[in-house]
Amino acid sequence: MGGTIALNPGNISATRKVTRRATTESLAVRWTLIGATVMFLGIFLFLPLAVVFAQAFEKGLATYWASLREPDALAAIRLTLLAAGIAVPLNLVFGIAAAWAIGKFEFVGKSLLITLIDLPFSVSPVVSGLIYVLLFGLQGLMGPWLARHNLQIIFAVPGIVLATIFVTFPFVAHELIPVLQAQGQEEEEAALVLGASGWQTFFRVSLPNCKWGLLYGVILCNARAMGEFGAVSVVSGHIRGLTNTMPLHVEILYNQYDFAAAFAVASLLALLALVTLLVKTAVEWRARRQAAQLALWSAQEEAKA
Amino acid sequence: MSIEARNITKQFGQFAALHSVSLEIPSGELVALLGPSGSGKTTLLRIIAGLEFADSGTVRFDGEDITTVQARDRKVGFVFQHYALFRHMTVFDNIAFGLRVQPRKWRRSKEQIHDKVHELLKLIQLKNLAGRYPSQLSGGQRQRVALARALAVEPSVLLLDEPFGSLDAKVRLELRRWLRQLHDEVHITSVFVTHDQEEALEVADRIAVMNEGKIEQVGSPDEVYHHPASPFVYNFLGNVNLFHGRLDEERLSIDEKAASGNLVYVRPHLLDIHRQATNGSHFRATIKHIHSAGPLVKIEALAEWGAPVHVELSQERFRDLQLAKNEAVFIIPREMKVFRNGKGTFDGENTIH
Amino acid sequence: MGITLKKPSILPGFGLALGYTILYLSLLVLIPLAAAFLKASSLSWHQFWHVVASPRALASYRLTFGASLLGALVNLVFGTLVAWVLVRYSFPGKRLFDSVVDLPFALPTAVAGIALTTIYSPNGWLGGPLAAIGIKAAYSRLGVAIALTFIGLPFVVRSVQPVLGDMEKDLEEAAASLGASRRQTFMRVILPTILPAALTGFAMAFARAVGEYGSVVFIAGNMPMRTEITPLLIMTKLDQFDYAGATAIAVTMLVVSFVLLLPINLLHRWSARREARANALTVNSSPNTLAEGEPA
Repeated sequence: MGGTIALNPGNISATRKVTRRATTESLAVRWTLIGATVMFLGIFLFLPLAVVFAQAFEKGLATYWASLREPDALAAIRLTLLAAGIAVPLNLVFGIAAAWAIGKFEFVGKSLLITLIDLPFSVSPVVSGLIYVLLFGLQGLMGPWLARHNLQIIFAVPGIVLATIFVTFPFVAHELIPVLQAQGQEEEEAALVLGASGWQTFFRVSLPNCKWGLLYGVILCNARAMGEFGAVSVVSGHIRGLTNTMPLHVEILYNQYDFAAAFAVASLLALLALVTLLVKTAVEWRARRQAAQLALWSAQEEAKA
Repeated sequence: MSIEARNITKQFGQFAALHSVSLEIPSGELVALLGPSGSGKTTLLRIIAGLEFADSGTVRFDGEDITTVQARDRKVGFVFQHYALFRHMTVFDNIAFGLRVQPRKWRRSKEQIHDKVHELLKLIQLKNLAGRYPSQLSGGQRQRVALARALAVEPSVLLLDEPFGSLDAKVRLELRRWLRQLHDEVHITSVFVTHDQEEALEVADRIAVMNEGKIEQVGSPDEVYHHPASPFVYNFLGNVNLFHGRLDEERLSIDEKAASGNLVYVRPHLLDIHRQATNGSHFRATIKHIHSAGPLVKIEALAEWGAPVHVELSQERFRDLQLAKNEAVFIIPREMKVFRNGKGTFDGENTIH
Repeated sequence: MGITLKKPSILPGFGLALGYTILYLSLLVLIPLAAAFLKASSLSWHQFWHVVASPRALASYRLTFGASLLGALVNLVFGTLVAWVLVRYSFPGKRLFDSVVDLPFALPTAVAGIALTTIYSPNGWLGGPLAAIGIKAAYSRLGVAIALTFIGLPFVVRSVQPVLGDMEKDLEEAAASLGASRRQTFMRVILPTILPAALTGFAMAFARAVGEYGSVVFIAGNMPMRTEITPLLIMTKLDQFDYAGATAIAVTMLVVSFVLLLPINLLHRWSARREARANALTVNSSPNTLAEGEPA
């Protein structure tokens, strides 16, 4: 490369003085976009959140507590906790089993299995509830058999638990499968060669490696279990004090214009949502920090070499 | 513990990784499985470990048939190419793992495990890093931990899968020598897989050269380097120049137009450069590139038939000759290897001076 | 050689894990699903069609699919915008906004429903001003669209964010050095890269919106033929013990869900393959492949 390109002095003043990098937009554009984003998210996300708490406390703290301590409300809270308390552990075990089979092995029919597991994600909750009514309802397939044995599933607690399990079973599996897949099987092979049994390998090596994905899946599963509305509404029968979960109770209160009480119960659920988001953010932050630490160590090693 | 693999065949789908491979490893030996990617060496190692199962054939440890025995019951130590350290456990916990998962009746006490782990940490010279996590270690350190972990359960056989493949050159050399020393002390039957012929030649007691699912030759480093059994072995162990030649009585001449198909192999350091022709085999060439590399001078010349020839001269010899680019010279092979019918099968070899 | 049903592996527990998985799925999903289809088949074809194609049902499809489409489109545009801003810019409180994007995933639908209704009702925070200029938000189709926009918001954002995050700056720098304006770079270089992800998010938002019940049923107004969504129609039929009718419509929705799932999965795999190919291109072009003998 010999010589330099001579600048034509006459053109310099004609070029714009640009003080920003070539790959960013002008300040004006940037702040317009940021402003639009903030407005959009503010209107669609922050506003609903704010209104829940505003309406809950509108009639004062005393009314708030009274609404929550009302017997039907307490019954709803208990039922919600029961349904989630059964659904989440069961779906946890399922999620681990499914993720193990799908994430670590290659077999025929894997895609079909994954599609089946993702089914509740794409089916309307009302349809999910309907399916169980068709099976266990009075006119359902097993209706007469259940009636004969004095068992009631639909319009009773078992139906609610069942519907909750159905709509939340994919969550843990969905989170775990990519994690287990990405890890490969070298560590498990190492454990086996070192003499560990299958269960020892699973509990000491595989499970700890996916704890963040597991936690995240459980949190999402729980949030959905406690908040499910459509499916539970279909199977519930709306019997006050007996077959109402918190979301259903909110609906009843709202429909009878008891807004303060409705939003009081709703605020508990909103709080749960915020905790869910908090845990999710914490998990992601933790994962990002670990990745950054790893990168830092690798860079330091390169520098040493 | 001696290892005997007999007639091992393994296919992955359409790909045949091993064709009826047999190998005997006497107790206490350090054997290298050497070959290019796809030669089946890692597959053979994993079959010995029990991480894969052969389609047919047997594996025996000390004469006992363990072909169908599970990996965890074989008491082998395995060191993975990418270490496979348990990322959420400290160095200490990693090394202690094998000891902690033993069935209760054989399991040592906590103190015994503690002592054993520290003994191993001393051996691998990482005493201060017991509390670190694998992500906080360098590649060389991780590999040493992997080795200590494998040795903790006192295996009768040690298997290493390209143990130094992902490390820097300097670290690789250090660990190579360290492995050799370790073996000299401990005398555990060891098999390691590598594609680096220098590594195999330097470390191993014996080398099994593999290619395309078969063993081409088994022998001491000296044997496989100086008395290769096939063109592949010769080619793989060290740089080589390849010519076509003609064999008249005792006299071999390099003749690219020879139709008889004799392949002649000469290592770059066994070619000499002269300014005059001699009586023996020789050919003309033009110097194209001169590259000084440490104690050697590497020269690339263009032979009279248009193909490149690589010659290695000592610095002294180069200084004596005072060669320059584009100079016309004669190249004389000091030692050649001929494989008759050089089309992959061979009948024997001839060394002609 | 016969077909291998499973690739051999020394990892334990396959039988147990797969067995339990299939058992659980059968009890929870397959058997109930079979019951539904069985029940639907109890209707004659004529009856089935009568229910599924009744004017009321048709009106509900129009509303459900129309409003879902609208919501998904809004999310396509704004979701991409939000993803862009979150990835490329920093501003005070950005992390807060980033976390909040997942709110529609975490918030129970009933809570969202009553909150949105309160905001957009004629005396609500936003409903009031809108009513003043003659726009009825709650208890109208607009309300349905607003609720469905809320419900689908995270899909596009979370689909596009990782793709934007992984994008190499080199591409944009190359475009800039070749003389492209920022807008041109965006339209010709950046947009094509994120389009598959954005479309995937759009499809997922649409699919979710179609089945949505809780967040919509409060704000909709639920007048048959006008503001009645299909899930509510199913619910109403159930209340009237018209199991057959409810099932007919539910089955229709199920079929549509499956039909929607397919292109989503295909889109997903197509964009994943594109990503993989693009990454392979950047990885394999290392500069250390000069042939020996070439002048360095």
